[in-house]
Amino acid sequence: MFRYFQDLYHWVDIQGHRIPAVPRNLGITALFLCAAYCASGILITHTGGENNSALVFVLAVALISLLTSGYFYGIAASIIGALCINVYFMEPYEAFSLSRTGYPVAMLSMVAISCVICALTARVKKQATEAVRREKKAKALYEQNEKLNAEKAAIQLESERVAIRESILRAVSHDLRTPLTAISGTVSVLLESPEVSPKNVAMLNDIKQDADSLIIMVENLLSVTRIQDGTMPLKKREEMLEEVAGDALLTTRRRFPDCRVDLELPEDILYLPMDSLLVRQVMINLLENAIRHSGDSSHICMRLYRREDRAVVEVRDRGRGLSPEVLQAVRSGEAMPLNGDATRGMGIGLSVCQSIIKAHGGFFTAENDPSGGAVFRFGLPTEGAQL
Amino acid sequence: MNEKQTILIIEDDKAISNFISRALTASDYRAIPAGTGREGLSLFFSHGPDLVLLDLGLPDMDGLEILSQLRGLPREAPVIIISARDREAEKVRALDMGADDYVVKPFGVSELLARIRSALRRADRLKLSQGIQRTVYQIKDLTIDLSKHQVLLGGEEIHFTQNEFKIIELLAIHAGKVLTYDFILEHIWGPYGGSGSNQILRVNMANIRRKLKENPSEPKYIHTELGIGYRMLDD
Repeated sequence: MFRYFQDLYHWVDIQGHRIPAVPRNLGITALFLCAAYCASGILITHTGGENNSALVFVLAVALISLLTSGYFYGIAASIIGALCINVYFMEPYEAFSLSRTGYPVAMLSMVAISCVICALTARVKKQATEAVRREKKAKALYEQNEKLNAEKAAIQLESERVAIRESILRAVSHDLRTPLTAISGTVSVLLESPEVSPKNVAMLNDIKQDADSLIIMVENLLSVTRIQDGTMPLKKREEMLEEVAGDALLTTRRRFPDCRVDLELPEDILYLPMDSLLVRQVMINLLENAIRHSGDSSHICMRLYRREDRAVVEVRDRGRGLSPEVLQAVRSGEAMPLNGDATRGMGIGLSVCQSIIKAHGGFFTAENDPSGGAVFRFGLPTEGAQL
Repeated sequence: MNEKQTILIIEDDKAISNFISRALTASDYRAIPAGTGREGLSLFFSHGPDLVLLDLGLPDMDGLEILSQLRGLPREAPVIIISARDREAEKVRALDMGADDYVVKPFGVSELLARIRSALRRADRLKLSQGIQRTVYQIKDLTIDLSKHQVLLGGEEIHFTQNEFKIIELLAIHAGKVLTYDFILEHIWGPYGGSGSNQILRVNMANIRRKLKENPSEPKYIHTELGIGYRMLDD
């Protein structure tokens, strides 16, 4: 039963709130005043002069102030009610009079009581809405707090993960580089030694070459692990492109002393933000690729130039050119086919190049020169590094 | 010099230490290996080496700590740092703390020997000059005359701006030593010259390179140490 009333009240409340505030409040005021007038009218026929109309109107005022918003309607209703009682339910009927003793006092006390009731209900109402609002706010805050806590935990987990990755990478790179340095170094010492027979020299040369390839491979793997999932930001710094290119060429020349590589520089200065170690890695890979896979290691040329807002690096050879599979893979940006003799060793190197350039927001292309040979090109955004 | 020059190797990896020792012995140096920082310091005091090879990643002591202890001694010996490629900041700090040069793991024997020769030559030069500064420096066909404020390339004068000449002068005075960006910036433009960027230096360097017709892939006079600084070649 109680629930039923509660539901009804809710329904009325919701329906009522569809009507704009002023007409609704006026309607409520008018409705209850009329009801009070009717009730008093009925009562007066039974009780005569000893009437209870004041109490009935006070009840109406209390209900009005409960159901309307603000003080205004309650106070207005109490004044109208007082006048109404005076006019209709007190002698002389149908006329306003303050002549009888007690009338002004009765009227004033009725207005005062109604006002007090009105003020009290308004306050209670305000407190109730305030309480509801506070509860809502507390709930929202609690939810937000929960969310923030979850986020904080996620961030903490993420940064811990990055830190762990960094330290693992550092350890792995140290643990891989150190023995490789030792192998390659020891072999070169042995190669210089007079006690090694010519037959063994060939074997030592093989060891040295493989150790050096492994070093490059490890560098590639470390680079690609660093950038692959994007969790570790690039260590970008403004760098002079020709110095990076020079370093890459010197490194390559140390490994392949017999090949010829030219470096063509631009007239203007290309100074742009990049992770120089990674870009250097790209250049080394492209040069090594040209030396080992083009079939002609004596006409390799690396050219630097500016094209619009890109600094472009071009590695060109005059070898046998690229297979359709490699061209297709570079064009689609997919991973290289890693199997098959045609791309042996080339796949990993080129994939590393592609992901490094992609992480820099640059472009990477490969094509065959109509006059023979392969051309690899990559461009890095100069990003307003104006000179 | 009749006596063999002594080189102290402070390196914890046995295999690397071994092959460096062998390479040095084969090149007629006396090699003293030390596996820890503490051992390295005590061997430095007992042997007074002519040069120190120092790995920055030692198990017992921070490499930079050893470097600062070595620098505080009256008997100076050039120090060549052994470090990993991706530790630029560490190398720059070591160089600014007085290390002469560095090699990066993985390094080759010939590269290491070249660096050692260069550092030893520089140390000899400093000893001979007794603090008296030379006014003419000769690097291959490049003549730098500080008193005349003149640079000749194969007998022909090349005109440099004030700052370009100052950079060449600084590199020539320290020929063979790696000078970091910050070191050069501070000497040419004052302590606040770079204001956080070394662009001004890099651009000056690119211009110098163009005037000297120097290709960074075949450096004849100035070697670029990527991300670290520059070094004037001395042979």
